[in-house]
Amino acid sequence: MAGFLARRFLSVLFVLWAMTVLVFAIVHILPGSVAHMILGEFATDAAIVELEERLGLNQPLYLQYWHWFTGLLRGDFGQSLTMERPAAPLILEALGKSAILAGISIVLVAIVGISLGIHSATHVGTWSDRGLTLMQYFFIAVPEFFWCILVILFFAAWLGWLPATGYSPISEAGILGWARHLILPVSTLVLGLIAHISRLVRSSMLEAIESRYVLAARAKGLPERIVLRRHALPNALLPAITILAVDIGILIGGIVVVESVFAYPGLGRMLIYAIDNQDVPLMMGGMIVITTIYALANLAADILYAVLNPRIRVSGTAG
Amino acid sequence: MVDPMADAPLLDIKRMSLTYATQRGPVHALQDVSLAIPRGGAMGLVGESGSGKSSVVLAMLGLLGQGAETVCDSALFDGLDLRAAAETLRGRRIGVVFQDPAAALNPALTIGFQVAEPLVQHRGLSREAAFARAVELLGEMGIARAAQVARAYPHQLSGGMKQRAVIATALACEPELLLLDEPTTALDVTVEAQILDLLEELRRERGVSMLLVSHNLGIVDRLCDELTVLYAGRVVEQGACTELLGDPRHPYTRGLLAALPRVDRGKMGRLAPIPGGLPDLTRPIEGCNFEPRCAFAVAACALPQALRAADGRAVRCHRAEEIAGQPWPIPEAAADAVRPEKPLTLLRAEGLTRSFGHSSLLSRLSLKGLKPATDFKAVDGVSLTIGRGEVLGLVGESGCGKSTLGRLVLRLLRADSGTLHFEGKEIADEPPTAYRRRAQIVFQNPDSSLNPRQTVDEALRRPLIRFGLASGAEATKEVERLLDLVRLPPSYRQRYPHQMSGGEKQRIGIARALASRPDFLVCDEAVSALDVSVQAAVLNLLTDLRDELDVAYLFISHDIGVVAHIADRIAVMYRGAIVEEGPAREMLMPPYHPYTEALLSAVPVVGAHGRAASRIRLTGDVSSAPGTIGCRFAHRCPRHLGATCDTVEPPVRKFGEGHRIACHLTPDELKAMPPALAAE
Repeated sequence: MAGFLARRFLSVLFVLWAMTVLVFAIVHILPGSVAHMILGEFATDAAIVELEERLGLNQPLYLQYWHWFTGLLRGDFGQSLTMERPAAPLILEALGKSAILAGISIVLVAIVGISLGIHSATHVGTWSDRGLTLMQYFFIAVPEFFWCILVILFFAAWLGWLPATGYSPISEAGILGWARHLILPVSTLVLGLIAHISRLVRSSMLEAIESRYVLAARAKGLPERIVLRRHALPNALLPAITILAVDIGILIGGIVVVESVFAYPGLGRMLIYAIDNQDVPLMMGGMIVITTIYALANLAADILYAVLNPRIRVSGTAG
Repeated sequence: MVDPMADAPLLDIKRMSLTYATQRGPVHALQDVSLAIPRGGAMGLVGESGSGKSSVVLAMLGLLGQGAETVCDSALFDGLDLRAAAETLRGRRIGVVFQDPAAALNPALTIGFQVAEPLVQHRGLSREAAFARAVELLGEMGIARAAQVARAYPHQLSGGMKQRAVIATALACEPELLLLDEPTTALDVTVEAQILDLLEELRRERGVSMLLVSHNLGIVDRLCDELTVLYAGRVVEQGACTELLGDPRHPYTRGLLAALPRVDRGKMGRLAPIPGGLPDLTRPIEGCNFEPRCAFAVAACALPQALRAADGRAVRCHRAEEIAGQPWPIPEAAADAVRPEKPLTLLRAEGLTRSFGHSSLLSRLSLKGLKPATDFKAVDGVSLTIGRGEVLGLVGESGCGKSTLGRLVLRLLRADSGTLHFEGKEIADEPPTAYRRRAQIVFQNPDSSLNPRQTVDEALRRPLIRFGLASGAEATKEVERLLDLVRLPPSYRQRYPHQMSGGEKQRIGIARALASRPDFLVCDEAVSALDVSVQAAVLNLLTDLRDELDVAYLFISHDIGVVAHIADRIAVMYRGAIVEEGPAREMLMPPYHPYTEALLSAVPVVGAHGRAASRIRLTGDVSSAPGTIGCRFAHRCPRHLGATCDTVEPPVRKFGEGHRIACHLTPDELKAMPPALAAE
């Protein structure tokens, strides 16, 4: 177990380092000078030289990478070019807002998705299972931005129940105001993911229900409730954990879209802003933060999987 | 006072029928099955796969699931109606042991918890008290260090230990009846023998009644007093076990016995297969449903047949008396080849070694320093020769390295060291195409080795084109020749795997291996997945093909009976090395390697009431082994001599023509061993 965790941790560190190289390379090694990219094609040579000096772009690439990389380790993400402020606090603030969105979403996805999956698996062939299946395919197939537009039109513009855009902190608007701003973005984010997870839980639960050990548990004379809860469910949830971590990647992609549409001041919207305005340090910092979150989420899923799965947690032979 | 129930059977099922609703219509899985088990009695239930054996068990427990409908005149357990009471009886008064303990135990729960569960549920014991009782139960099932095992998870235990734990669970609430559904089918023969001993002891000491479902007649003969033979959902014969097997009356029972390769008879000329397969159960046959496959069928067989009872036996065949004494016909050999005493060497392997271990750098890291994890030597310095047209049988328990060795001599797997010569020429790690053409393989499971999206024609044409042997119309002719070789009509060319039976699929697997006209075939458990009746036909086919084509086989099997039937020479493998090798006829009699002796005495033989002459029992299994210095069998050897065996590599003792035994026992001690097989 310890060896397994150590190996996973080492490989996450390696992935993160490789991502710094990749992110740096995408911005710096691609054809065209960064200063040109930032200043536009009509920039004067003097302005370019001045900017290159300021950003350290006249140094050899490996030195530039070294400065940037050691900065990252110290928590220094460089200066934002457009806002003329250190990038780190900007990124951190946006990250906090996105974390609210993502955190609520992932908890909802886990709880609702798993419950629906179990319900379908234990009611195979009934109308509720068929209805859920139909809805699940529908929500998996239709992309988020469509729901964004639809819910804004319906709940914000037509019914006027909820605000269409923005974010208000609890300190200003109170819990209710804060929550009202979150309802629409969160629900558009989770629809597809809930559908996805519940499909998966349904099939892994069905597989568990049809397994020999569940038959053996029934043959022991256990009541069906205990058979399902104690024998089928723990084994059925293992694959769901891995997929939940993969879905965090999809969630991050969804957040970029949802934040843009709902004008929600999070990391996704910040990243789009940085790209639009050629704010290179902000862009690189944002990408690194997202990568780190994704890698850590997968690490967490691996650890959880190992803790819940005795085949990994306990090794060696007995007797 | 006399208890009126005392004489009544514990279990009494009368005319039980079962239908499954499927898309093709209702499948009549069981038709009028009646069986009764007296208190303390043991009933065997045998038949081919698909005959409905397991359905009987599930129907009795009320665990058939959706789409299944059971009808019966009566189903009584100790006077209670099973149909209503099954739910309250299971786990409490009826214990169940399913096939394959690896699948029947929940991987997420500890052994002790799973054994204790029925006690908490039915006896109202506290978790702690139930766990303590579970440890006792595991101990009673012959598990040493039961407390430690109780805290372990299933993946930490060997197959035999798992099955002991499953039996402990079934016995937790001291049931009166134990249902055993193929309880030893997934286990090695030496472990099977241990489990059978345990079950025998349970019967003797606790008086538990048993219903044993099995395809293996030897096991049933060893454990049961009564026997029910099931064919396609109907009982065809019922009676006392010894008499029924000694004097089978229904043609199907006779066929099953004639098809069985018998290790106690060694190399028989030919086996008697039962042609054809199970009838379509969606269209129940009015008359005898075995008639299409029966060697004794006459026109009157199309009339409905009743199960006729006479002198304690029941037979569903109107000709039973008429055909008594007539043996099931054995088909003639296609060619009567005379084999040379000493065939020319075709293949010679020397010192083949292959380890498996941790290949990637990251996985080699362990926390205790950077010591690389130890590799596992699957095949360790094995040398063997195979003559032209010779069959070398390779036996051993699972995990002994048989399949790895098969792949190494085909160069399908890279050897760490060792050389391979074919017709005197060295074959390198990357063999030339010519070697691939001349050395082929037949796999165990035709379901996974045939591409489900390819027709027979495509599967057989592929090697012809790949090796440049034929194309176009010529290839079509060649495909038909191959089908003819494996006794299938040319119309099979257009079939897909799912349109064929298991035996037919395996014939295609053999035809595909023969397409390139090889001189050498590795048959890796080639008949293990087949029913006895079909296995006999495929074994006959392989024997004929060897005679017709002069192909040599490396015949790998865990079933020593099958190997003894087909092989000219036998090699016995244990933990990566060959411990004994010799001519087949000499291998079945002393001198033996102690491991061979144990293997032979573990085989349940029909007729000897399943008992071997000498009952050598191995403890543990292959996986309980320490590192390899000295003899690799020392840790389980019943004839262990002392420290020498543990520390010194055993010398190779030579007996007669090419019979070699690697053992510390002196040649005289080896020769003085009693025979392991009971004479009938």
